[in-house]
Amino acid sequence: MRPQPTPSPAPFAARPVPTGDPGGHDRGAATDAAINGQPARTTIAVWDPFVRIFHWMLATAVAAALTTGLLLPATWTRLHIAAGTLAAALVAARIVWGFLGPHFARFATFVGGPATVLRYTRELIGRRAGRHLGHNPLGGAMIVALLALLIAITATGTAALGGVLKAGPLAFATSYAAGSAAREIHGLLAYALLALIALHVAGVLFESRRTREDLVGAMIHGRKRGMPGAGSARSAQARPVLAAGIVAAILAGSTLVSAALSQRPAAGVPTAPLDPAYAEECGACHIPYHPSLAPAAVWTALMNGLSDHFGEDASLDPATTRAMRDYLVANAAEAYDTRAANVFRRRAADDPLRLTATPFWRRRHAEIPAAVFASPPVGGEGNCAACHADAATGRFAPAAITIPKETTS
Amino acid sequence: MRATPRSTFAAGLFAVAAATGPAAAGPAQQAILDHYAAEAKAAGAPSAFSAARGEAFFRAKHGVSAESPSCSACHTADPRNPGRTRAGKPIEPMAVSAVPTRFTDLAEVEKWFRRNCNTVLGRACTPAEKGDFVAFMASR
Ligand code: HEC
Ligand code: HEC
Ligand code: HEC
Repeated sequence: MRPQPTPSPAPFAARPVPTGDPGGHDRGAATDAAINGQPARTTIAVWDPFVRIFHWMLATAVAAALTTGLLLPATWTRLHIAAGTLAAALVAARIVWGFLGPHFARFATFVGGPATVLRYTRELIGRRAGRHLGHNPLGGAMIVALLALLIAITATGTAALGGVLKAGPLAFATSYAAGSAAREIHGLLAYALLALIALHVAGVLFESRRTREDLVGAMIHGRKRGMPGAGSARSAQARPVLAAGIVAAILAGSTLVSAALSQRPAAGVPTAPLDPAYAEECGACHIPYHPSLAPAAVWTALMNGLSDHFGEDASLDPATTRAMRDYLVANAAEAYDTRAANVFRRRAADDPLRLTATPFWRRRHAEIPAAVFASPPVGGEGNCAACHADAATGRFAPAAITIPKETTS
Repeated sequence: MRATPRSTFAAGLFAVAAATGPAAAGPAQQAILDHYAAEAKAAGAPSAFSAARGEAFFRAKHGVSAESPSCSACHTADPRNPGRTRAGKPIEPMAVSAVPTRFTDLAEVEKWFRRNCNTVLGRACTPAEKGDFVAFMASR
C-alpha cells in the first residue's frame, strides 16, 4: 500500500510552500482562506497505517507499563515486563520506519535541528506559526525525546531486571548494586516519561485548537485537511517489504540473543538445594529459612542461643549445632547477591534475629492485613512459603508470589 | 476454655477409646517405655506408668510460658488430631493409633522431651513423666 497524498495534489501545486519546510507549512490566515475555498475541503492521507497502529499500541503498552510499574504491587511484575518488552519492540520498528516509511513517517521529514525548533517556537509565541501537514518541529522534537526516553527506560529496566530480580538477558552479568542503581534511574525516567506524555497531549490539544484540526482524529483515520504544496513530487517512497524484513531480523535477533543470555546462570543466585539435615532440623517448627536470608553474624547469634529460641527451646546436640552453624555461615547472605540476600542484611536494631522485623520486610508486607497472616492457609508472618512458592530457593521472585485464599470450612 | 461442639465430640471419642482399652504399644514403643522404666527405677521412682497421669500432665497448664502453657497448646486437646506449632506449621498427631511411628526413635523422643519440657515447664521432665506421657499416647 502506498500512503501517498490523495487525491492528486495538482490543485495545490500553484501555491508554493513557504521557505524550506519539509513538513508542509502554510500561514494561518491564508490557510483558512484556502480551507474555505473549495479545494481545501479535500483531505490528505498523512499518517500511514503503521504509524497509527504503532502510536496506539505504544500508548497502550506504555499505559500498562506505567500502571503496573508505579501503581500496582510487585505481583504484576510479569505483566510490567511484557508491556515494556512490547513497547521496546514497537520503538525498534518505529525507528526502522523512520528511515524506510513514507514521507510523513520519516525522521528526515519532521526532525529539525535546534534552530528549526527555536524558530518555530518563536513563531508560535508571536502567533505567526503556520500549520504543518506532518509533525511540526516541536512535535517532531517531542517524538525524538519520547523514543529516546523509551530506549533509556528499556535499558535501565533490563539492567534492573538482571541485577535486582536476577532474571532476563543481563542477569548473568549484573550485580545487585548495579541493578538497584538502574532501578532508581528507571523509576526517575518513568516520571520523566509521564511529564513528557503530559506535554505531548497538551501540545496536541493546543495545536488542534490553534489550527482547528482534530489531530487526535487524524492519528486514528490518518487524514488531515489538505493544504497547498503537499505534493507527491518530493515524497519519499515507502519501502515496506524491506522495513518489515529489517524489523523481523532485529526482533528475531534480539529474541535469540536475549534467550541465549537468559539461559546463563544468574550472578550470585543460590542453586544448591537446601541441605537435607538442615531442612529437617530447622524445618521442624517452621519452614527452613534459606541461609542466604541472613548475614553470618545473625546465624551465629541465633545458633548460639538455640535453648532460648524466640521463647522456645530449639536446642540440638553439640555436633549437630556445629554442623548447622557451619552450613548457615558458609551460605549466609554475604555469599549471595540476590535481592533477598541484599535487603535482609539490614536488620532491626531491637530485633536483629527476626527476618520479619527487618525494615525491608515490614515495608514490603505493610499492606497485607494481619488477618491474612493469621488465616489458616498462611499461619503466621514467618511462613514465607505460604505466599512465596520459591521461598526454599532463597529467590523470592515477584512472579512466584500468590496470597493463598482462605478456604471456607 | 468453653466446650465447643468439637471438643465435646473429642471428649466423646476419648470415652469410647477408654472403654475399649489402651491400644497396645508396639515393640518399638515398648522398648522406649522400658528405657524410661529402667531410668525411673534407677532414680528410685515408681516405674509403673499410667496413661491417666500422662493425660493429666499433657493437659496441665504449667504457667511457665505464656505462648506455650501446656503440651496440648501445640499438640491439641485430642492427640489424635494434627497439632500446630507457634509458627503455624502442622504437627502430625501424637497418638500412636494415628501415627504408628510415634515414639519409635529414642534419640528423637529425647530431643523433643528435652526441648518441649524446657519450653513448657522450664525444666527437664522426669523419667516417670516421660513414661506416663508415652503410655498415654500409646493408649490413644
Ligand atoms: C501472606 C503472604 C506473604 C507471606 C507470608 C510473606 N510474604 Fe513476602 N511478599 C508478599 C507479597 C504480596 C509481596 C509483594 C509486595 C509488594 O507488592 O511490594 C511480597 C514481597 C516480598 C519480597 C520482595 C519481592 C520483590 O522482589 O518484589 C521479599 C524479598 C519477601 N516478600 C520476602 C518474604 C519473606 C522472607 C517472608 C517470610 C519471612 C515473606 N516474604 C512472607 C506476601 C507474603
Ligand atoms: C522447637 C521449634 C523450633 C525449632 C526446632 C527451630 N525454630 Fe526457629 N523459630 C521457632 C519459633 C517459635 C519462632 C518464632 C516464630 C514467631 O514468633 O512467629 C522461630 C523463629 C525463627 C526465625 C525468625 C523468623 C521470623 O519470623 O523472622 C529464624 C530465622 C529461625 N527461627 C531460624 C531457625 C533455625 C536456623 C533453626 C534450626 C537451628 C530453627 N529456627 C529451629 C521455633 C523453632
Ligand atoms: C511449641 C509447640 C510444642 C509444645 C508446646 C510441645 N510440643 Fe512436643 N513437639 C512439637 C514439635 C514441633 C514436635 C516435632 C514434630 C513431630 O515430631 O511431628 C514435637 C514432638 C514431640 C515429641 C516427639 C515425638 C516422637 O514421635 O518422637 C515428644 C515426645 C513431645 N513432642 C513431647 C511434648 C511434651 C511432653 C510437651 C509438653 C511438656 C510438648 N511436647 C509440648 C511441638 C510442641
